[in-house]
Amino acid sequence: MSGFVGKISKKLDLASYCACSSWPVLTGLILISAFLTLAAFAPFIAPFDPWVPGRPYLPPGDGHYLGTNDIGQDIWSELVYGTRISLLVGFFAAFVSVAIGTLVGLFSGYLRGTADQALMGLTDIVLIVPSLPLMIIMAAHTSPSIWNIIIVIGALWWTSTARVVRSRVLQLRDMPFVEAARGLGAGDIYIVFRHILPNTQQVILAKFILAVSGAMLTEASLSFLGLGDPLQKSWGMMLNYAFTRGGFINGYWWWYLPPGICISLAVLSFVLIGFGLEERGRGDLKAGRL
Amino acid sequence: MTYGFVINRILRYTGTFFIIVTLIFFVSHLMPGSPLKNILGEVTYFNLMSQNPEILHDIEAEYGLDEPLAEQFRIYLLSLIHFDLGYSYKYRQPISDLLIFRLKWTMVLLLPAIIFGAIFGGFFGSFAGWHRNSCIDSGLTSMLLFVYSMPHYWLAMLFVLVFAFHMGIFPLGGITRGGLDGLDKAFDILWHMVLPVSVLTLFGAAYNYFIMRGSVIQVMEEGFVLTARAKGLTERDVLFRHVLRNAMLPLLTVIALDFGFMVSGALLVEIVFSWGGMGTLIYDAVLARDYPLLHGSFLVIACCVLAANFLADVLYAAVDPRVRGDVET
Repeated sequence: MSGFVGKISKKLDLASYCACSSWPVLTGLILISAFLTLAAFAPFIAPFDPWVPGRPYLPPGDGHYLGTNDIGQDIWSELVYGTRISLLVGFFAAFVSVAIGTLVGLFSGYLRGTADQALMGLTDIVLIVPSLPLMIIMAAHTSPSIWNIIIVIGALWWTSTARVVRSRVLQLRDMPFVEAARGLGAGDIYIVFRHILPNTQQVILAKFILAVSGAMLTEASLSFLGLGDPLQKSWGMMLNYAFTRGGFINGYWWWYLPPGICISLAVLSFVLIGFGLEERGRGDLKAGRL
Repeated sequence: MTYGFVINRILRYTGTFFIIVTLIFFVSHLMPGSPLKNILGEVTYFNLMSQNPEILHDIEAEYGLDEPLAEQFRIYLLSLIHFDLGYSYKYRQPISDLLIFRLKWTMVLLLPAIIFGAIFGGFFGSFAGWHRNSCIDSGLTSMLLFVYSMPHYWLAMLFVLVFAFHMGIFPLGGITRGGLDGLDKAFDILWHMVLPVSVLTLFGAAYNYFIMRGSVIQVMEEGFVLTARAKGLTERDVLFRHVLRNAMLPLLTVIALDFGFMVSGALLVEIVFSWGGMGTLIYDAVLARDYPLLHGSFLVIACCVLAANFLADVLYAAVDPRVRGDVET
């Protein structure tokens, strides 16, 4: 038993991931650290207050590295502060969705029977409903705020986590160490949270990483549709303003290219890590060369 | 194939659709804000409220909003059966007419994109999986990972900037210039389709590429591939007769599951190209907070996605005997 648990925890060891990881994971980690630095030190990096208006439509040049928007706010400063909101939405929405998915998967896999059928039936339904249009409706009915967006994304993105966790739990629940725990008189709740949950960490981590990237993209889409939080500067909102207030039609590229590049790179960093982990998981050592 | 399987699936998808309808009913009748305000729109609602509130009562009775909730639900279901989705105050016409017209134009973009996306994604994906870790695999994989990470609408904006704005080879947006008919009009529409369809195809291809690549890699690790090689089959025969035949199956279902993903993409891409389909319709509905229109659009899209999934289930069962339960696995 200790051998098995030891093997799992060794696989989870982040240091060993970094030490012998493939270039997708490394590139992803470097990109994420760059964005985290931007977010953490935004007030020191941004030369202007992103909310203070000034001369509008300035092209990139002295002072304003990336020019200004329609009311003269500095675009580089907006971008730097936008990192905070975009990462915040990504992490929290991913957390909500993975938490829901993990709970559903754990109980459905461990309890089996009727509970399993009911929970998986629910998962199938949520999986099949076109999520973006439903999120649009939910966001349109609630007041626009990033917390509502986080809840809306989290409430609809948990299905794949639930499925993966469930199939892992189905493997785990009949293993000797679970039976041993049951034989020692441990209750169901105790077994699920102390013995089964720790052994599903790896699949949960992989799903969490993908969920962050999905959530950031979805936030960008919802904001673009005008459902974002007007009181927060996110990259999606910048694109929305650039599109609705003439930046796109008039060809002010410095207004709508940078936020798009930032979204793509931030999403890419998480996708790369997820992809790298998946390639490693295929059990082929050659994956490291990719 | 057994009829039992098909009936089972029909029941399942009908059940799912009923749950979706119920959900939309509760959203439209119990969400914050009076349902009447959502039906009439804020401007009309407050105008009537201040000038002659008794008309509001009449309208409320007409829509059955003063009845108990169960009765309202019955009225709602009855109107759905008659394909009556209500009236759009933004467009001032019945929603069902509007949706049929708009859905047609979205399909014009979607269907070619789904087909091309599946072909390109399947082809390059199986190539990359077969030649895993080669230069071409690494190149394609990193390029498509980047495509995969871009917001759909932003790539569409880039395409407009480069191909329409700077190079001027394609129109900036719209469906047709107007004033044309017959063959000229068809060619003009094709001309306007090139950019949006390419953007969507690229996303579809990226999506299918990773599915196909993973599927091929997984099949290649199976014992029967080793057996095929040991029998002395040529690499070509191993690839076409053993690997691809098995790796194709996931792609088939994914194309249908993909349908939901592609619809979402198409909605956003349409807005950038001002293509008059469901996407621009939903965009206008969001901006005007035209809730009946939003709900109707959602129901129609959900219907299409369910139909696509049903089709995929049946096709998959027709191709793979293990799914329909005829054969012990």
